[in-house]
Amino acid sequence: MAAAPKPPVVQAGTGNSIIVNPCQRLNPLLDCIRNVSKEFGDIIPDFQLGRTTCALFLSLKYHRLHPEYIHQRIEKLGNMFSLRILMLLCDVTQHQDAIREITKTCLINNITVMVAWSNEEAGAYLSSFKAFEHKPPDMIKERLEKDFNSMYRTSLTTIPKVNKTDVETLRSHIGSIASVATASAEQMHNLPGLGQVKVRRIKDAFEKPFWNNS
Amino acid sequence: MSTLLGFQKKILSEIVNPDSSDLVLLARGLGLRKIICSLMQIYDSPHSLILLVNANADEEGGIGEELGIMGVVKPGLRIVGHEMPKKDRQVLYKKGGLISITSRILVVDMLQSDIPTDMITGILVLHAEKVTALSLEAFIVRLYRERNEKGFLKAFSDQPEHITSGLSPLKAIMKELQVRKVHIYPRFHQDVQESLERRKADVVELHQPMSEAMTEIHHSIVQCMTMTLAELKRSHKMLDLDDLSVENAYFRSFDVIVRKQLDPVWHKVAPKTKQLVGDLTTLRQLLTYLLTYDSIDFHAYLETIIAANTTNEKGVAKVHQSPWLMTDASNVIFSVAKRRCYISTPKGKRREEAIDIDQDEWDALNEAEGWTENPAHKQKKKKWMPDNIDPVLEELPKWDLVAEVLQEIEQEIIQRPLVIGTPGSNTVLIMTSSNHSANSIRQYLSSMDYNKPSGSRGRKMMEGKLWKYLFWKGSLSKRAEKDKAAAAKGDKNTFEKADDGISEALRMKDRQRQEKSAARRRVRGGPPVGSSAAPTRLDKAQQAAVPETMDILIKEEADDLAHFFSSRQAIVPTTGGSSKAPEVIDLEQMPAHDDFSSILDSDYDIHYGLIPQAETVLVRAYSDDSDDQILSEIRPRFIVMFEPNPDFIRRIEVYRSSNPGLGVRVYFMVYHLSSEEHRYLAALRKEKESFERLIKERANMMMVLEERRSNRADTIIKTISTRIGGGGTRTLNNSPSQVIVDMREFGSTLPSIIHASNLLVIPATLTVGDYILTPDICVERKSLPDLIASFNSGRLYTQCELMSVHYKHPVLLIEFEEHKSFSLEMADHLKNYVKNTGKFPTRKGATAGEVDSTRNVQSKLVLLVLSFPRLRIIWSSSPYASAEIFNELKLHNPEPNPSKAISIGAEEDNEAGAGINQTAEELLRTFPGITAKNVRYVMSKVKNIRELCELDLKDVQEILGVDPGKSCWEFLHQGGGGQK
Repeated sequence: MAAAPKPPVVQAGTGNSIIVNPCQRLNPLLDCIRNVSKEFGDIIPDFQLGRTTCALFLSLKYHRLHPEYIHQRIEKLGNMFSLRILMLLCDVTQHQDAIREITKTCLINNITVMVAWSNEEAGAYLSSFKAFEHKPPDMIKERLEKDFNSMYRTSLTTIPKVNKTDVETLRSHIGSIASVATASAEQMHNLPGLGQVKVRRIKDAFEKPFWNNS
Repeated sequence: MSTLLGFQKKILSEIVNPDSSDLVLLARGLGLRKIICSLMQIYDSPHSLILLVNANADEEGGIGEELGIMGVVKPGLRIVGHEMPKKDRQVLYKKGGLISITSRILVVDMLQSDIPTDMITGILVLHAEKVTALSLEAFIVRLYRERNEKGFLKAFSDQPEHITSGLSPLKAIMKELQVRKVHIYPRFHQDVQESLERRKADVVELHQPMSEAMTEIHHSIVQCMTMTLAELKRSHKMLDLDDLSVENAYFRSFDVIVRKQLDPVWHKVAPKTKQLVGDLTTLRQLLTYLLTYDSIDFHAYLETIIAANTTNEKGVAKVHQSPWLMTDASNVIFSVAKRRCYISTPKGKRREEAIDIDQDEWDALNEAEGWTENPAHKQKKKKWMPDNIDPVLEELPKWDLVAEVLQEIEQEIIQRPLVIGTPGSNTVLIMTSSNHSANSIRQYLSSMDYNKPSGSRGRKMMEGKLWKYLFWKGSLSKRAEKDKAAAAKGDKNTFEKADDGISEALRMKDRQRQEKSAARRRVRGGPPVGSSAAPTRLDKAQQAAVPETMDILIKEEADDLAHFFSSRQAIVPTTGGSSKAPEVIDLEQMPAHDDFSSILDSDYDIHYGLIPQAETVLVRAYSDDSDDQILSEIRPRFIVMFEPNPDFIRRIEVYRSSNPGLGVRVYFMVYHLSSEEHRYLAALRKEKESFERLIKERANMMMVLEERRSNRADTIIKTISTRIGGGGTRTLNNSPSQVIVDMREFGSTLPSIIHASNLLVIPATLTVGDYILTPDICVERKSLPDLIASFNSGRLYTQCELMSVHYKHPVLLIEFEEHKSFSLEMADHLKNYVKNTGKFPTRKGATAGEVDSTRNVQSKLVLLVLSFPRLRIIWSSSPYASAEIFNELKLHNPEPNPSKAISIGAEEDNEAGAGINQTAEELLRTFPGITAKNVRYVMSKVKNIRELCELDLKDVQEILGVDPGKSCWEFLHQGGGGQK
């Protein structure tokens, strides 16, 4: 982005704030970075989000006018940083070709693309990158402990056509998963809300073998 | 097997030519299956290979059976499912004959050249209405035409209603099937008229009025639907209002209409709107159940709905409840439905004021219905009945009607006995809409007492049902207590069933407080919401009041019953046998010691053993074309249609016309002025309209088809032109570009589109990733709902972990759907809402929560990227865009190696390449103790999930290890055998 008068530049800090390249000074995105502090610094990428994380910003509208801009920026970036992000603001309707081309460039240059549809969303992304810098990935890891009811419900609703009312019916009339597995089709037909199709799906899920025998 | 009728012969002669490809649209009930079977019989020979595609399991069975009857036995129709090993399939294809095959397997076999595509004589496609540009069938046709120009393709459909959406739906289907000719045969086609209307029908139409209670419920449900619809319209301005009427809401297709309109923004739609759409489905179901379920089943179903609606997964009261649950009308539904079963009188300190008030009114109503309260009733009351419960046990009015009709038929049979030598039998066929109602009619007929006044003939059966119901409720409350206790214990011991004294006490206290507040609300406001008023404007506390109270009342009642039964249990063994009627003893003793299944079983035994009319009365549920088979096998003279069904009426017409000399009498029962009647008439009208539309479209189509051929190269899906034999473009560049695709991905649309974009699709069973583009690039595809679900389950993390280990460029493909908006942002209209309505400060909190939950996906994505710096993300607005990106990424890159890709990550290779029961695998993954790493191992250890469920704790532990094994086993067995 074109920056008018040269702003005062602070040396890149070590700490807890997002460091912003002065060339982004007029970007409305800056107002949307909330909950983390930000400071300007002399850096090569547009944003430095952590010790090893950086981000470039590109609006598709701008890209349409200056298709060569992003390549120059990437070239300048070289091999710095281990996690490199391209924050792509999707603000045009004809986005397919542009995204395709950018995706390929980024794959070659080891850059991860994040697409946002508004400045707020982009801001939220950047703030979370900073905020989560040292956060362990427990939130998205497989968790084993959950309470029984919700697990029961999740299990049975993986079967197509089975909804939560049916789950309640099965649980109150038949009981544990093991009992459902061994219940007869006849028995299930008699429960309210379970028609032929649903019963067949349930039976298929429990009784059809995992593999064919090859 | 009866011979074909005139019009059926005509259709057959039109399509029999094996050199042409045709599409046949026939009205339902006019014997489509018979035509298909005759066609297959003609084509059957060991030198030909005929494939039947898109038939479901029932149809496969039915067609196979019918072919057997027609004499096509050696070898007849063979069915290929995922259970059949690859080698057997190859042998089978070589031998030829008639084969029915799942679309998914056929695609894979065609791609892997397991099936000699150029040897296929012809393909028959059922359910042509479901074919779209993205469906597997279109993919099959493309692959088929690529290598085989000579074979024929015959497509069939009997669902004209489905071919109405879009600009020229018929053309779209014909284009995908690459078919040039279409034959349309509605019921009003001249040939059909001629064949069927030579003899007039002997139909007795019986318009049964609903009972007053039913009318009231019916009315209230319709009211709720109107209200929900109004709410839906208000919340979404862009919905096309013309199509959204209560009348349309009677149909299942209504959901499709709403979904289609909301689809572009579906993932942006607020949960409230989704709920409204779901509510309409529930309400429509309720209407059906009201007319087909007996009063007790209906009431029990209502309670289940409340239970499912008031609490969320964690057993905590839900914040967003369905608005219809909070209306006056729903209150009427619930209380009247209960009244139809029993009246619970106040007992002790517990008072249910709201319900007591209209006690007198109810007595009056009962009297008016001719159901007089027996004065001696109180003494006669069964001992198992709790004191405060007074059974009403209203029966479905149609039951009486059936009893009367059967009597009439019996007389008729005596008066006009069958002359030997004429066709037909004395069997009476009763047709119902579902297995459930068929079962209850069977029970009713076997236990009914002709001597009792009408309206209470099925008393015995209803009492049995009431008993079961009360017992079920009692056990429910016990279970709830256990659950609560377990939940209170929290963290690791969640699966422990042990009761905790302290938490129990806490719970009781809590409940009492809730009760009190509920009672207060009751007294103060009564049902708070006028049905037409917008419930959104009400304050929260009031909103929650109705369903909450309802729920509490239900639980309270359940608790009472639990107490009652636990005190009874001690008595049963001593009193049983001497003082009670035998059938009551049976019912009473069993469930106290056994689970639900045995109640049912023994119930059947009792009734079935005694049915005297078993040979003469047959009760069945409507199904598909196999009904024709039943009719021609049984040859009934008397048919009772318990519920209206336009298809079956045609079946009867066909049956009568193909059995000359057989006098058929049909009793046609419908509830007067009900949704049932309405729906029946509307269904007829709809079918006619859609046929008319299709005929009009066909009339204009000739030119359009011509245009299609010249335009072919421009269409997005580039159909491989048959003029370029063998896919000429491919031979130009010597090495075809290939993509390895996981078998499981063939359920999605992307493989078909990849193929259409000139990449070679190689199916394989992959352990890591979904698509392998180059030796370095591995792609995991996630649609938006998939993405959210796999974030929640943590599966995505594991998948990315595996990809990062084995590939240089792990890629996550986030694929949006075509025609749906390309955006992750879900809450933007909510934000506007906040801006506009600053005057409702209370809403702000809720909105903030909403935004948080949507940000959730985004922040999880951030976390994922931070955890896997090498992971790349492809954002694709549609499968077409994905295919283009794939093409781009493959340029100038080496080709992937299938055998290497398969072996990556797969520790034990023996199962590679096999077909998988996907639902079972998904289900298995949700069990605790089963992770992405051991799921394959478990699948190789047990045959199916049922087997896993039947294992002992020790065996499960042997497979999974000690701790995971224990939690898995305990999860599977928690909740016990039902009633306990």
